[in-house]
Amino acid sequence: MADKRIRVLVAKPGLDGHEMGARLISKCLMDARMEVIYTGPRQTPEMVVATALQEDVDVIGLSFLTGAHKEHTAKIIRLMREKGMDLNSTVLVVGGIIPPEDVTYLKSLGVDAVFGPGSDTRTIASTIKETAGRKRGKND
Amino acid sequence: MKLEDALKKWEEEVRQPSLAKKPENKKEFKTISGTPVKPIYTPLDMEGIDYQKDIGFAGQFPFTRGRTPNGYRSFTWPHDFYSGYGSSESANERYRDLINHGATVITLALDLPTQIGYDSDDPLAEGEVGKAGVALASLADADRVLEGIDLKKTGLGFVGNCIGPYILSVSLALAEKRGIDPAYLRHFRIQNDPLKEYSGRDTYIFPVDPAIEMATDVVEYICRNFQDKWDWQWVPQYVCTTQVRWAGVSAAQELGFGLAHFLTYIDSALERGLSLGDFVPKMDWHASSDLDLFEEVAKFRAGRRLFARLMKERYHCDDPNIQGLRISLWTSANRMTAQQPLNNLARITVQVLAAMLGGVEHMWAPAYDEALALPTSESTRVANQIKLILHHECGLENVIDPMGGSYYVEKLTNQIEEEAFHWLQEIEKMGGVQNAVAEGFYYSEELKGLYRFQKEVESGERKVVGINLLPVEEEIPLDLFKVDSADESRQVKRLDHVRETRDNKLVQQCLEVLGEMATKKAGDKKVNLVPATLEAVRANATVGEIHGILRKVFGEFQAPVKVS
Repeated sequence: MADKRIRVLVAKPGLDGHEMGARLISKCLMDARMEVIYTGPRQTPEMVVATALQEDVDVIGLSFLTGAHKEHTAKIIRLMREKGMDLNSTVLVVGGIIPPEDVTYLKSLGVDAVFGPGSDTRTIASTIKETAGRKRGKND
Repeated sequence: MKLEDALKKWEEEVRQPSLAKKPENKKEFKTISGTPVKPIYTPLDMEGIDYQKDIGFAGQFPFTRGRTPNGYRSFTWPHDFYSGYGSSESANERYRDLINHGATVITLALDLPTQIGYDSDDPLAEGEVGKAGVALASLADADRVLEGIDLKKTGLGFVGNCIGPYILSVSLALAEKRGIDPAYLRHFRIQNDPLKEYSGRDTYIFPVDPAIEMATDVVEYICRNFQDKWDWQWVPQYVCTTQVRWAGVSAAQELGFGLAHFLTYIDSALERGLSLGDFVPKMDWHASSDLDLFEEVAKFRAGRRLFARLMKERYHCDDPNIQGLRISLWTSANRMTAQQPLNNLARITVQVLAAMLGGVEHMWAPAYDEALALPTSESTRVANQIKLILHHECGLENVIDPMGGSYYVEKLTNQIEEEAFHWLQEIEKMGGVQNAVAEGFYYSEELKGLYRFQKEVESGERKVVGINLLPVEEEIPLDLFKVDSADESRQVKRLDHVRETRDNKLVQQCLEVLGEMATKKAGDKKVNLVPATLEAVRANATVGEIHGILRKVFGEFQAPVKVS
């Protein structure tokens, strides 16, 4: 299992467009030999969780730029639990414009990492790999 | 000695030997768009340029040096703020504060549900109400948002690219409600540019063709009803390329794509029987202003010259009022760093300087805290004042096109004009903007540019202070703006109240008529949807009801999602 490629869902929940950040990250994660499923914008939390289940992903990455990160992330985590997705095995990361105090809040909900503007995409990829590896190890 | 020989001699005998002692810091020097640049530019780079034909004077064809004959010497900046958030009450409070600090125009930032035609209580709007702007779900909201603001004194601006007929209707109905003849609104400026949404910002609703036609409805309605009142600064449409640029394209692509959109709108309005003079002089190119000072100045100069040439060559137009392109802009908020945010003041200043050296006539600058949260009242005001400091305190008001004649800037101006024309033709070869959208052309060009930039930063080839040069671990906390989370429920309650107190039978009738008109428009694009929308808005039909009907008739746009 160890050399299985990490499958990542990159999603833009909510009504915000501004999707170039999510597209760039998708490309950079592909460079890091991950399999990326990109949803496009305007995804409801229900759609994000349904796609994550259907695609059997190891990682969900959410991108937010216009301030609706708290509501949508909380709902996605609730739906993940309802649908039997285990946050002990699925990695959840958030990126975009997230005020510092909200980073603490998102992490308290169970988000593994938050990446703001200016993040190095290689750091994002290595954090995802490391966290996914750790969570896989726990499960295996 | 001939200049060529002198240059060669300097290169061999002076510059090259110096590199042995002090080698260059980079393998290649490039503009922010990725164009390689030489170490020095000379009159040799001006070869082929005919001063009178290609550069000329301000206010005259080809307008390279400026649209107006006297530059900033006879110019007053409009104090226009793009702002809005939270509930109607909190947005109103911010607007009054800005007016007290000298704002002459308020451009209402609308929340995403409104921009995409959903009511505040739509399930899809959950968590989004009042976030990226204020909700304008019905005429009642507009009245509350603008309470106590005199519309004869303070101008109104909107983005609302896919809801143009609704926004125009709300503004007209609000004026009526307050007993003002709409023709006497101080100023009405609407971006009304749906193509921006398919090429960079993604806040679209309808498929491309009906979206363009609805935008043209607004242009046509204003031209036919308020033509003689145009001294009052009504802008029915302006072509925005800020987001397409921020999304990663080059300066030349930004201009080329923008002109492709501009010409598409011109052709659409001409098909309605309007003439160029009816609307082109009131439109502008709403560009971005990036950090590469010289490249940006060249872009603005090239933009005016190429537009004037296109008007002359393609539309056989010799009227300087039509040939002269007005440029407005929003500086590049995407270059603001979340790291050490006060450094952004230096970045904004250079972007504003580039715009002013390029003869831009209207601009918004981002706030230094924009990479962290919505701007505060203070950061919004500071952003507006940078241009005034440059204008009055730094000599920018004195001389028209002060960069004109710079060997480097003239060369870049030529290069950008040439490349932009190439990109315009590329889109035309594809069969027009509709096909460029459908083929995912914009996304793919944006991703190429964005990826290149990101890799340049990550490899250290391009330095960004606070990111890969002098990064700091501990950030000084800023006083950031917070949206009150109770705003959403307040807004939903207000909407309930609107639905309970209006004449619902009348609303239904209006919506039926709108549906019939939309069905007619699907068969004949010249059918104008503004009158039926205005009736519905007067009756307090909501943004969701109106666009729900239109969605049924025209369907919704589906974006290509391939990442490549």
